[in-house]
Amino acid sequence: MLNISQLLDTIKAQPYREIEITTPHTGVLTFATVALGDQVQGPQGQWKEKRGTLLATLERERNPKPICSLEKGEICALHTELEGKFVEANTPIATIRHMLTREEVEHIILKKTLYLFRAPERAKYYFTPEVDKKIHAQDQHSVKVRDGMELFIMSRMKREVHLPYTGPQGLIYTVYFKYNENIDAEAPLIGVCTQEQLPAIEEVIMRIKTEWTGR
Amino acid sequence: MEKHTPNEAEAPKTPKLSLGDHKVLVANRGEIAMRIMRACNNLNIPFAAVYTREDNQSGHGDLARQLGGDNCLYRVSSYHDANEIMSVADAAGCTAVHPGYGFFAEDFRFARRVTKRDRSMIFIGPSWKIIRELGDKINTKRLARSLGVPTVPGSDRPIYDEAEAERIAKSLFSFQEQQGVTHPLVLVKASAGGGGMGIEEVYDPDQFRSVYRRIRNYALRQFKDEGVLIEQRIKDFNHLEVQIVSDRTGRHPVHFGTRNCSIQSTGRQKRIEVAPGFAPDTLEYSFDAARVLTDIVDYSLTMATKVGYDNVGTWEWIVTRSGEPFLMEVNTRIQVENGVSACISHVAGRGCVDLISEQIRLGLGEELGYTQAEIATEGVGLEYRIIAEDPANNFTPWVGTIERFHWQDAPWLTMLTHVPTDRSYEIPTEFDPNLALAIIWGKNLEEAKARGLTFLQSIELTGKNTAGCELKSNIDFLKANTEHLLRF
Repeated sequence: MLNISQLLDTIKAQPYREIEITTPHTGVLTFATVALGDQVQGPQGQWKEKRGTLLATLERERNPKPICSLEKGEICALHTELEGKFVEANTPIATIRHMLTREEVEHIILKKTLYLFRAPERAKYYFTPEVDKKIHAQDQHSVKVRDGMELFIMSRMKREVHLPYTGPQGLIYTVYFKYNENIDAEAPLIGVCTQEQLPAIEEVIMRIKTEWTGR
Repeated sequence: MEKHTPNEAEAPKTPKLSLGDHKVLVANRGEIAMRIMRACNNLNIPFAAVYTREDNQSGHGDLARQLGGDNCLYRVSSYHDANEIMSVADAAGCTAVHPGYGFFAEDFRFARRVTKRDRSMIFIGPSWKIIRELGDKINTKRLARSLGVPTVPGSDRPIYDEAEAERIAKSLFSFQEQQGVTHPLVLVKASAGGGGMGIEEVYDPDQFRSVYRRIRNYALRQFKDEGVLIEQRIKDFNHLEVQIVSDRTGRHPVHFGTRNCSIQSTGRQKRIEVAPGFAPDTLEYSFDAARVLTDIVDYSLTMATKVGYDNVGTWEWIVTRSGEPFLMEVNTRIQVENGVSACISHVAGRGCVDLISEQIRLGLGEELGYTQAEIATEGVGLEYRIIAEDPANNFTPWVGTIERFHWQDAPWLTMLTHVPTDRSYEIPTEFDPNLALAIIWGKNLEEAKARGLTFLQSIELTGKNTAGCELKSNIDFLKANTEHLLRF
């Protein structure tokens, strides 16, 4: 088992990450009233339904698209030289210095605790229809996986092949991929914990909840 | 189907421009984007081009900068996003959009949007109404039947209901048994699919339901539409096509002959194309092959004239061993393999033919300027599709980094590739791993085949994937199948 205290101390020593905000598509860029050093908010609300601080607006085909901060933090770079210009897709417009939240720390530690089943190749991944149905009806914790079980459909260049799960028997604790998105080779698809591990995992989560005061 | 009058319906609101006053947005990637850029360059038409983050090493970006300058190339989020295409077209001041093949090439909504928006442009392809009518396989089938053009027996609309699907399959099995077919087969295919994807055969009526469900689920995942078509599976056939070209009047379509595309992968994707479609002068057939070629050309022209077809297009045919042709579908776009027809064609007074230049020229409103009688063909053309894939393993795509790609140039060879030869190139997983098209001309079939083999033997193609495994390609498959070309 991991030394959670040590891991938390390591994270506490460097509790920030920098998030580059880029344009999702082409369009004419207009910055909102933000400046270097400003504090910004990420999406809020129970379902993150309230968007973060408006950073800029990107207009394409007369449709203005708000570009908002994805996380709480401080603006540490702002490319105001792009004001009023037509920009290409994926153009960096700002950088946010963000302090890790409790959920992000949980995420980091769980990735080190769970058994990660990784993508063998860059491709799109789907659960098989039976597993997908079960996850939708209940949740991922309801799915028990075992070595050799047909769990995924790997789709690349519109060719689909079944991908069996290999690893210890257990429950799907976390799903790391989204449908219709390409997943890089070696990126984790699911995090699996054994039935016996479950109490220990829940204890880890509890400790992070009490010990991390990031937000 | 009403005959369409494209020039009246699609006339841009701006005054008619001469070719050089236009600017074309090349809304595609890879080798077809490069061919469009070269065609624009030859016609002295400026262009703008697009690429995505995944494609930043593609040779089409290099060629765009070389022919059009640094400012002609725009990074977009996706080739599939129509808003991106319009946005770049506006920013670059384009007057026309060339969709290439794939992506928006056969999307009538996109074509309509290009021509109907406030800042209207020209869609370089057939008018949107024609794409809508002929792009619908069912409409095409109905039109064909109304003109006495033979089509494959089966459903005449997408099927969404399992019970109905089973009824159709059952009737197709019974029909084949009545016809004396010893091993009746039914084909289930995603109605929104194409390029050979999402198609499966059913041998056993009891297996139909599971195949139907598999294709339906696949179609929903890949095409967001679970409709399927159910047809009689005709085995033992050759796949032929007829190249049609027409100007915006749609009145006098001409043809640039036939192609044979029967060498395909197990997923029914074309790998070698040959023009003309049969060689009745040198090979023996169990049917009158010359007559079949004439018939499919005549049927295709009849349909093109009926609908007022107004750009380039391809009529795809199945020809059975007994010489019966059945229309499969109409591709309302330029085909990958257009170059194989062009390489054997000449127009009196104009010389060699470039069908993409013709498509652009006619799409922008120029008159055809020649008749069928002025089109002549000479020799045989072959096209090899060089692909990173494993033919021994169901043509599974190979993904990795190409370290060396080299071949021996020859005057009879045209090599079309977006793979850079001066640096290594990582194949993006977002697209099919097509590496190159090689078009070879010979004065007859034997010479074309011999030259084809010489070319294939000269290729040096090496690379490795993330696991360190060697690149797999279909070159041996192409060599092995060269011998069988046009034999039936």
